[in-house]
Amino acid sequence: MLSRDGAAGLVCLGGSLWFLVATRGLPHPALVPIGPAFYPRILLTITALLSAALVVADLVRRRGAARRAPVRYGLVLLTFAIFGVYVALLPPLGYRVATFLFVGGLQAALERPRGARWWRVLAVALVTTVATYYAFEGYLSVLLPRGRLTGF
Amino acid sequence: MISLLFASLGEVLHLKFLIPLALGTWAGMIGGAIPGVTITMTIILVLPFTFGLDPLQGLATMTGVYVGGCAGGLVSASLLGIPGTPSAIATTFDGFPMARKGEPGRAVWLGTWASVFGGLLGAAFLIGATGPLAAFALEFGPWEYFSLFIFALSMVAGLTEASLLKGLLSGAIGLIVTVIGSDPIMAVPRLTLGTEFLRSGFQFLPVLIGIFAFAQIMTDLERMGGNVAPPRVEAPSLAVSHLSVIREILSRPFLLLWSTLIGVWIGVLPAIGGSAANVMAYDQAKKFSKRPEKFGTGIPEGVIASESSNNANVGGSLVTIMAFGIPGDAVTAVMLGAMIIHGIQPGPLFISQEPRVAYGIFAAYLVAHPVMLVLQWLGARFYLRVVQVPKSVLIPVVLVLCTVGAYALNNIIENVYVLLIFGVLGYLLVKFRFPLAPLILGVILGDQIEVNLVRALMTDADPWLFLTRPLSGGMLLASVASVGLALWQHRRQQRMGAAAKAGAPDTDF
Repeated sequence: MLSRDGAAGLVCLGGSLWFLVATRGLPHPALVPIGPAFYPRILLTITALLSAALVVADLVRRRGAARRAPVRYGLVLLTFAIFGVYVALLPPLGYRVATFLFVGGLQAALERPRGARWWRVLAVALVTTVATYYAFEGYLSVLLPRGRLTGF
Repeated sequence: MISLLFASLGEVLHLKFLIPLALGTWAGMIGGAIPGVTITMTIILVLPFTFGLDPLQGLATMTGVYVGGCAGGLVSASLLGIPGTPSAIATTFDGFPMARKGEPGRAVWLGTWASVFGGLLGAAFLIGATGPLAAFALEFGPWEYFSLFIFALSMVAGLTEASLLKGLLSGAIGLIVTVIGSDPIMAVPRLTLGTEFLRSGFQFLPVLIGIFAFAQIMTDLERMGGNVAPPRVEAPSLAVSHLSVIREILSRPFLLLWSTLIGVWIGVLPAIGGSAANVMAYDQAKKFSKRPEKFGTGIPEGVIASESSNNANVGGSLVTIMAFGIPGDAVTAVMLGAMIIHGIQPGPLFISQEPRVAYGIFAAYLVAHPVMLVLQWLGARFYLRVVQVPKSVLIPVVLVLCTVGAYALNNIIENVYVLLIFGVLGYLLVKFRFPLAPLILGVILGDQIEVNLVRALMTDADPWLFLTRPLSGGMLLASVASVGLALWQHRRQQRMGAAAKAGAPDTDF
C-alpha cells in the first residue's frame, strides 16, 4: 500500500506526464535551434523521473510500527472555506464590505465569541478594514476592488 | 567606495528614508517576536506597503524588516522560551533560563547588543566583499549562470530535512510554475490551459504569499486545535546596565568574532540559512568553552553566540543576493523578489549600474542596527504583549494583508485567485512533507535558469560547454556532489535513526 510519499509521487507523475503531452502542441521555430517546448520538456521529464523514483522508493521502503499524531483538520478546512467565500465575495461586494465580513466571520469561527467578545470581533473587523483601506487607497495609491452589487 | 558609502549613509539618515526604515525594522521586530509569523512572512506582509515608494525607500524598509526580524525573535525566545523565528532557536537555550533566574533584562539586552555587534561586523563583510565578488561574477557567461542557479537549487533541495527526492521534486515544481505562460523566445503561450490570464505567467508574489503564508498559518491552526488564545504572561521589567552588558560581550571577543564568522559564512552559502547559523554558532561556542556543562543553564556565551551569528547571517546572505543574484533560503528568496518588484535586478552588474541603490542598501543595513536598538529599548515590553494577541485575531488580519498584497501587485483580482490556489497547494505540500524552500527558490530562479540555458545554446549549440568551461563544469560537479552528499547523509541518518523513528507519526493514509 502506498503512503503519502507514494501518493504524492503518483500525483506529480500524472501531472508532469499530462503537461509533457501538452507540450506536443507547441510550435517548433524554423530559424532557431531551440523552441518553446525545449526547456519544459527537459524539466517535465526530470520531474516525471523524480516522481517515479518517489513512488518506487515508497514501495520498497520498509515501514516500522508508527502511530498517528492527533491533528485537527476542522479549523483548517473551515478557514480555507471562509477564505474561499471571501475571495468569491470580493468582486460583487467590494473590498470594504467583504473584508469586514471576512475578518468578523473568521474571528468568530476560530474562537466562538461570548458576551463582550462580540464587540472585540466587530472592532477588529472594522479597524482592519478601515486601516488597510486608507493605508492602501489613501497613502499607497492602490485602488482596492469595488463591488459590482454595492457600487463601492 | 568609502565616499559613496558616506554619501549613502547621509541619504538614508534623511527622514524620507529613515522613517520607512524604522517602520520596517519595527514591523520586523513585531513579526519576529510572534511565534509562527517568521521573518519571511513579515517581509511578504510588509512588501505591498512599499509598492508606491521609491526603490531605495522600499528596499530600506525591507532591509529594516530583515534586521528587525532577527532581533524580534529573541524577545519571545528569552522571555517566553518560544523562539519567535527559527533563527532564535538557540537563544532559548540560555536566554530563557537566564530570564527565569530573574535576569530577563540581561537576557534580552545581551541578545540585542550581540545582534548589533554581529550585524555590524556582518555589514563590514557585506560592504567589503560584495564588490569583489560581483567583479568576479562579471566573468560569468550564460553557461556559468545556468550552472550557478542549478548549484543553488541542488544545495537547497539536498540540504532539506525531508527526503532528498522530495527536495528535488519541490524545486522542480517551482521551476514548472515559471514555465507556465509565454516562452522567452517566441512568446508562445505554454501550458496555460487556454486561460488568457495565464499567458503572462504567474506573478511570483501571489505564488510566494500563497505557498508560504497559508502553509504557515494552516499548520499553526491544526497544531493549536481549538486553543487559539496564548497564555497570559506579565511583562517583566527589562531594566539593566547597558555598559555592563556591552562589557560582558566585548570581554569575549573570540566568541563574538567566531560566531559572527559562522553567521556570515552560512549566510553566503546557499541553502543553509539563519536557523542553522545560530544553532551551529551555539554548538561551536559550547565546544570552545571552558565550561561546556554550563551551557543551557542561562550563561551569556549561549545568548551572545546565537544572536551575533543570526544577525551576521543577514549580511552574508545579502552578499550572495547582491553579488550573484541568488537567494540562499526562503527569506532571501523573498528579499530577492522584493528587489525585483522594485525594479532592481541583483547580480554582478547591480553595484556598477545602480551604485546609489546598492550603497543605499549597505547604508540601510548599517543604520537598521542602531534603529533596532532604539526600538528594542522603547518597545521590548510591548512586543511581549503583541505576542499574546490571540491567533483568532491575528490570522484574519494576516490573511487580509496577504490578499491585499497579492491584489496590489497589479490591481487585478486574478492574483487573489492565484493566492488561494497556491495557498491550497502550499498546505498540501506541507502535509505531504515537501520542503517549501526549494519550491520558492525554483519559482524565483526559474525564469533565469531558462533564459541562461537558451542564451547559452543560442550562442553555441554545443551542450558540452556546460561541462568543459571550468567554472560552469565545476559548479555542475559541485551540484552533483551536493546531491550525492545529501543522499549519503540521508542514508546514514536513516540507518542511525531507524529505532528512534518507530515512534514518529504515521504518514500512511
